[in-house]
Amino acid sequence: MLAYVIRRILILIPMALVISFLVYLGLELTPGDAVSHMISPEMMASISAERLDALRESLGLEQPFFVRYWIWLQGMLQGNFGYSTAGGVSIHTILSDRLPATLELSAVALLFSTIFGCVLGVISALKRGSTTDNVLTVTGMLGVSVPEFFFGLVAILIFALKLQWLPVGGRLLPGYDSYWDHVPHVIMPALVLSIMMTAGVMRYARSSMLDALSKEYIKTARSKGLPEWRVNLLHGFRVALTPVIVLIGFRLPVLIGGSVIIEQVYQWPGVGSEFISAVRSQDYPLVMMIALLSVMAVLTASLLVDILTALIDPRVRLDK
Amino acid sequence: MLPIQRSKGDAMNEHQDVALSVKNLKTFFYTNKRCNKAVNGVSFDIKKGKTLCIVGESGCGKSVTASTIMQLLPTLSRIEEGEITYHSEHGDIRIDQLERNGEKMRSIRGSEIAMIFQDPMTALNPVYTIGFQISESLKYHTDLSRSQYRTRAIELLRDMGISLPESRVDDYPHSYSGGMRQRAMIAMAMSCSPKILIADEPTTALDVTIQAQIFELMDKLKKEHGTAIMLITHDMGVVAELADEVAVMYMGNIVEAGTVDEVLRNPTHPYTRALLASIPVLGKGKNQNVEAIPGSTPDPYDRPKGCQFADRCAYRIAACDVMPDETQIGSTHRVMCWRHEEVGANAAE
Repeated sequence: MLAYVIRRILILIPMALVISFLVYLGLELTPGDAVSHMISPEMMASISAERLDALRESLGLEQPFFVRYWIWLQGMLQGNFGYSTAGGVSIHTILSDRLPATLELSAVALLFSTIFGCVLGVISALKRGSTTDNVLTVTGMLGVSVPEFFFGLVAILIFALKLQWLPVGGRLLPGYDSYWDHVPHVIMPALVLSIMMTAGVMRYARSSMLDALSKEYIKTARSKGLPEWRVNLLHGFRVALTPVIVLIGFRLPVLIGGSVIIEQVYQWPGVGSEFISAVRSQDYPLVMMIALLSVMAVLTASLLVDILTALIDPRVRLDK
Repeated sequence: MLPIQRSKGDAMNEHQDVALSVKNLKTFFYTNKRCNKAVNGVSFDIKKGKTLCIVGESGCGKSVTASTIMQLLPTLSRIEEGEITYHSEHGDIRIDQLERNGEKMRSIRGSEIAMIFQDPMTALNPVYTIGFQISESLKYHTDLSRSQYRTRAIELLRDMGISLPESRVDDYPHSYSGGMRQRAMIAMAMSCSPKILIADEPTTALDVTIQAQIFELMDKLKKEHGTAIMLITHDMGVVAELADEVAVMYMGNIVEAGTVDEVLRNPTHPYTRALLASIPVLGKGKNQNVEAIPGSTPDPYDRPKGCQFADRCAYRIAACDVMPDETQIGSTHRVMCWRHEEVGANAAE
């Protein structure tokens, strides 16, 4: 098992290198270079060619592509992510500001949707054809098909404006920073963010569970005289869990990079809203960094999925 | 020995060796408001230390009969009529009256009556070790402690002829071969020394050499532990080899039953005769005449009125439009056919 994990991590390194190279290449292929982003077009028109070259030289832009990539990579590995061209702030500072907020939101949403999705899916499968199952199915369909900003606005209307139970948006008020102060702010955006995924996980868990329950070994388990909970959970759900974990795992990066809309609706100071403004202001270094981050999130998620599925299903562990 | 309660005044010694008796059992399936009479009035006894073979083609109700005894039927089916009586050491238990997955039924499953299934590839849970799956039975039916499970599991695997049981016990089913998995299944079934072992086509998914080994193993268990075996098969060769008693099923009825000699040597039902005639004989060469039974089994939702076999039967007469009664033609031999005398006489030729 340990060998399997180590091997999976080792495979990750060349993949990450290739992807970082592709992202860097993508930036290289965009018209202009760093200097043209730094100087306004008016100044560019009046500036002399020597001064531009001197500026390029001082930034190391005269060096060949691969050398620059190498220097950039070294910087990345040391945590030197460069500077935002829009505000001149170090990207490191921006990320350390924004990333925790996004992670907090995503982690809570992921937790909610996994727990609710699995529990409801299993109930739905065990009571197949019943009213409970039908209600859950219809609700699930609604959850998947209605866009999340709609739920977001409705939730704000009900819980923040009418009932005044929860704040309208934002992450923390100045001066309040204990763990408990996070709760009222995060609970509504996280729940709204998790609706679609809960519905997805629930539908998936239901069909996966039904599939598992129709297997011969469920009959074997019953024929041994095991109690129903053990048959359903240990023999049914454990097997049904593998595809569900794959689904949840591949939603993870979407949650990190893609909670753009919810972050806008709730004024949540996360990576998603930063990403939008970076794209708008053509802040390439920042866009590149966030893109790299979501790619890394995908890689990490697939690693996690592989490890978890190997833990659950011994047939996945290919090595002995 | 504990006194055995009998509902009717049957002779004591005649029934002391009966482990389970089934009387006029009817199990029906309901789909789309239609009813499939999968088992339609079946009676038989499973005797201690004997093997009862149930033969018949696909869909005749063999497996449903087995599932009914274990109360492992799907939700859309139920026991419509009849009695299943398990003669336990502590008196008779009417299985048909127990709640399906209730505590009483669960305490019988696995410990008193165990079952092995057709396909060992799918009957074992792929995500648990063989040892774990054996110890699950031990956990619910024995007083063994957690630390003893493993020792007992190893012991069982060794008894079933699995080499290196000490390391094999921690393996997952996917690293076992088909024959080994079936041995592991039998180990699991035998773990709590059940009085009755129901084997539902245990070797259909295995190749012939392994088949022979599995049957040898089952025969050994029967002799050593006095386990009553109910073996479901469609292989007449297996019947001749292993059975003490045979019941031939067709469309939910036992059309003929008796000792293995009676049924195989002197078949009195046209279906039994046809089954026996359709077996190719090794050594007769490729030009031998294998007589397939003409036609196919009727649609269970659209059954013939009288004898279910009538449409395919060479002995058909007008009387066959009425379902024949069961006729006792010997102390153990019974048949459901209007013309059993003629069929029997022909067979004797």
